[in-house]
Amino acid sequence: MIFVHLFLEFFKIGLFSFGGGYATIPFLYHISQVYNWYSLDELTQMVAVASITPGPVGINVATYAGLKSAGILGSALATVAEMLPSLFLVIIVSKLLRKFSDNFYVRSLIETLKPISCGLLTAVAIGLLKPEIKDIKAMILLAFLLLISWKSKKDPLFYILIAAVAGVLIAFFKL
Amino acid sequence: MSLFKLFLIFCKIGAILLGGGYVILPIMTSEFVDKRKLVSHDDVIDYFALAQSLPGIIAANMSMFIGYKLRGKWGAIIAMLGVTFVPFWCIVLLASIISTLINNSYIQGALWGVGVSVIALIMLTVREMWQKSKRDNFFYTIFILTLLTLLIFKLSPIQTILLFALLGVGYKKLREGKA
Repeated sequence: MIFVHLFLEFFKIGLFSFGGGYATIPFLYHISQVYNWYSLDELTQMVAVASITPGPVGINVATYAGLKSAGILGSALATVAEMLPSLFLVIIVSKLLRKFSDNFYVRSLIETLKPISCGLLTAVAIGLLKPEIKDIKAMILLAFLLLISWKSKKDPLFYILIAAVAGVLIAFFKL
Repeated sequence: MSLFKLFLIFCKIGAILLGGGYVILPIMTSEFVDKRKLVSHDDVIDYFALAQSLPGIIAANMSMFIGYKLRGKWGAIIAMLGVTFVPFWCIVLLASIISTLINNSYIQGALWGVGVSVIALIMLTVREMWQKSKRDNFFYTIFILTLLTLLIFKLSPIQTILLFALLGVGYKKLREGKA
């Protein structure tokens, strides 16, 4: 029975949460109140773990919540249930786009989405500057990363690794 | 591209997806546009906006769009399973260790670095999107209005996308009517 509830609850999250991983947290809070699957303390811990393990936060939290609620099976069920609504929608939208690619409205929509995408991502970058770039160390690292890539673009992993190593070194030398 | 190969690529993407879902855009561009030339830069940008317009997790939505584009329905399913494969096992096997590791100063140092690299990656992606777009007055207007709406009026991304998609399409319709 817990599996049925687990599936339905996480399917609901996948269907009704807009705007990325942290948008799923209010739903997870609701679950912790209604069912006795995990406590509020555990939820805070789950979000912290989900943010530092690889993968999208919203899905990691579902995996973790499923694990706490009903073991590894629950974990797999919650993860898949959360993505199922998107899977159907992505397939439908892709089909429609392909079928109506010559349609005036679809073409206009695609042309309009480009500047919107640019704006969205720029806003994300600006929004992240304040919480992440708090001191001179962060500024220097950011400037360094931008400088080494200005001429030629490298693999995203390259930047992530360099920055992680820089962070460990700073912690090691207590800079 | 075989489904198995696709699965492996998405496993890799899931494994290096650190610091929040937005890094999916630079990773996708690097993997499918620059390295393998399977998807156009334009498509990736469209999927990014579409992925945010749908409910669910943006990075997963984007993976499924690319998966569908490359191999249809099964491609989307494989992308969904692939991108969550490594994160899933990380949580299942390491959850209890990680919650104690979080307080380690070296781990915190590494996470701090990753946080900074995410901003660098996003900035580089914005720069690239900017360079590769056809920038006319329509582009500048929508770009600036989108940015202002998000930063000043704090509308959510989905509200902003809906608002400007309607305005943009409406404007194009009006202009077509006149021409």
